[in-house]
Amino acid sequence: MPLSMKTNLLKPLAVVFAGLLLTSCVKDTDFDQADDITLTPVVELDLIYFNIEAGEFYDEITDMPILTLSDTTEIRFLDDTEIQESLRRADFYFRFTNSIPRNFEVDFQFLSEQNDTTYITGTSVIEGTIENPVVTEFEQIIEGDDIVQLTMADRVVVSVTIPDSDPSLEGTLNLKSKTTYYLEIRDRE
Amino acid sequence: MRNVLIFIMVLCLSDSLAQNKQLLYGLEEVPQSLLLNPGSRVPQKMHFGIPFLSQIHVNGGATGLTVFDIFGESNIDINERIRNKIFEMDNKDFFTATQQLEIINFGWRAKNEIYFSGGVYQEFDFITYFPRDLAILAWEGNRDYLDYPFDLGEVSATADLLTVYHFGANKQITKKLTAGVRVKLYSSMMSIRSTNNQGTFTTTLGDVNSENIYEHTVSNADVTVNTSGIASLEDMESSEIPGEVIGRAFFGGNFGIGADLGVTYDINNRLTASASVLDLGVVFHSNDVETYAATGSYTLDGIELVFPPLSAGQSTLPYYDNLEDEIEAAIPIDTITSGYSQLRPVKFNAALKYSFGKTVGNSSDCDCRNMGGGVERAQAAGVQFYSILRPKGPQMAGTLFYYRRLWDFLSAKATYTVDPYSFSNVGLGVVTDIGKFNFYIAADNLLHYGNLAKAKSVSLQLGFNIKFDEE
Repeated sequence: MPLSMKTNLLKPLAVVFAGLLLTSCVKDTDFDQADDITLTPVVELDLIYFNIEAGEFYDEITDMPILTLSDTTEIRFLDDTEIQESLRRADFYFRFTNSIPRNFEVDFQFLSEQNDTTYITGTSVIEGTIENPVVTEFEQIIEGDDIVQLTMADRVVVSVTIPDSDPSLEGTLNLKSKTTYYLEIRDRE
Repeated sequence: MRNVLIFIMVLCLSDSLAQNKQLLYGLEEVPQSLLLNPGSRVPQKMHFGIPFLSQIHVNGGATGLTVFDIFGESNIDINERIRNKIFEMDNKDFFTATQQLEIINFGWRAKNEIYFSGGVYQEFDFITYFPRDLAILAWEGNRDYLDYPFDLGEVSATADLLTVYHFGANKQITKKLTAGVRVKLYSSMMSIRSTNNQGTFTTTLGDVNSENIYEHTVSNADVTVNTSGIASLEDMESSEIPGEVIGRAFFGGNFGIGADLGVTYDINNRLTASASVLDLGVVFHSNDVETYAATGSYTLDGIELVFPPLSAGQSTLPYYDNLEDEIEAAIPIDTITSGYSQLRPVKFNAALKYSFGKTVGNSSDCDCRNMGGGVERAQAAGVQFYSILRPKGPQMAGTLFYYRRLWDFLSAKATYTVDPYSFSNVGLGVVTDIGKFNFYIAADNLLHYGNLAKAKSVSLQLGFNIKFDEE
């Protein structure tokens, strides 16, 4: 076969095949939509818990009541940059079970690394008895500007205040708590 | 995140079932068919690949998902489409990409009638299974999945960048039987692997006796990530990394050995069977190895406050640090620098070919010098089988093919392949021999070339060789 004929045939074939490859394309797509991709997980996570015996509100050595107990824990993830950018709403849920015959005031004070108070919430807990412990539920939904405040904190100070106490006081104040975090994670370049 | 997504999408666009070269298998006009079956018949006397151009192969694919599914123009919000896909796909679905670039390829027939061939190629191979549970957890969170054990074992992925040096021998042993063997030296530039993981993460609502509202439990976690050639890159400037990695292509990195075996057998003068096993080998990772292993079980209840009596100025207990320590103690993440060996993904090919039509070349129906041997004919049809061993078991593909030698200088092969991606994969390969110049191009999923975004997989091979035919 003469070479000229080969090339004559080959050219159109090559053109057709190359054409097929080159015209193949990605159609009807819009990759800018990638900017809209947003993950919106809702995460349930335990927060703090405690059991305070009635006796802890009375100092037997000095024979004096201790009217306020407080303790602090870090919640270090709260002021992470990712959380600050992504957290849209946080629902705190506290469930107290009280068998001490006293009402309590419980305060939650959120502090920043610089010791500034960024957010405060609190509730009253109804008195109960050993035979009939009383459950007090408290929910706090935090969103909008409050979320900005909350996510500047990395610690919470919990203060439990009793109006009065004496050595004979009995019972336990139990707290269980959790937070529902509503996140909105997206590319923020 | 967007860049990563687009990268994955582009990878997916770039190659079908990783490394299934159904178009090149058995296409004897292409010298590279010897890499798919070292026991293939070799018509030429000698060949050289044009350096860096003798085989360019890209392949990308995803089961259960196309680019169009996510990025197609649609009135439905993209997040809704992603969510629907997450729930539609299962943990057997996978994303894969393979790329090969042949640097050198050569071969010659020696006086003892053995066809020797050798060369060097670079390969990138990536596969990840779809970790459905973790995708759901990331996308939806755990609120609506109380008591559901999220499976950490769904994480299964491997990625390898390596150079392969190979040398093979091929001989027609009898009139009917041709056999060949190829030995391979692997030089791994980078490797990362996380397979055979297990464990679950469950959030359950606690009862009266529970410490807190929920119990978040990681149960029997055993998650391992092997890396090789990666740890040393972490301390480098990003501009230094390409040079370092390329340097490893030639005698840096970690080495391995392997072999390919293959045979072709003429059952009669129309029917030919062939089979090959490729990459029967192992890579020994000993330099620059870091393995991260996390094992254990842990239940998180939150932080317990104990209200310790404190004097003024005294700080309370470091609850958060203690919690972190407790988790680390329960599920320690160990970094192990001892070596590990890694099996190469073994590939298996088999074909049964029926030839018909007029005879071509020197052969004829009654060739007294070739009694019982196969006769080269202008047309052939047959079936092929392909399988590759992957972390979650073999992946398989079946192909029907039709081959036709149109003219002396031009042959074509069309294939219809059924594989995990689709039932509509039609491919076409063309080989030309113009003088000593050999060119081939093969692509599959042609039905989708109108819009690649709708293809679940794409595979392309092309290359240039110089061939010297038998006198």
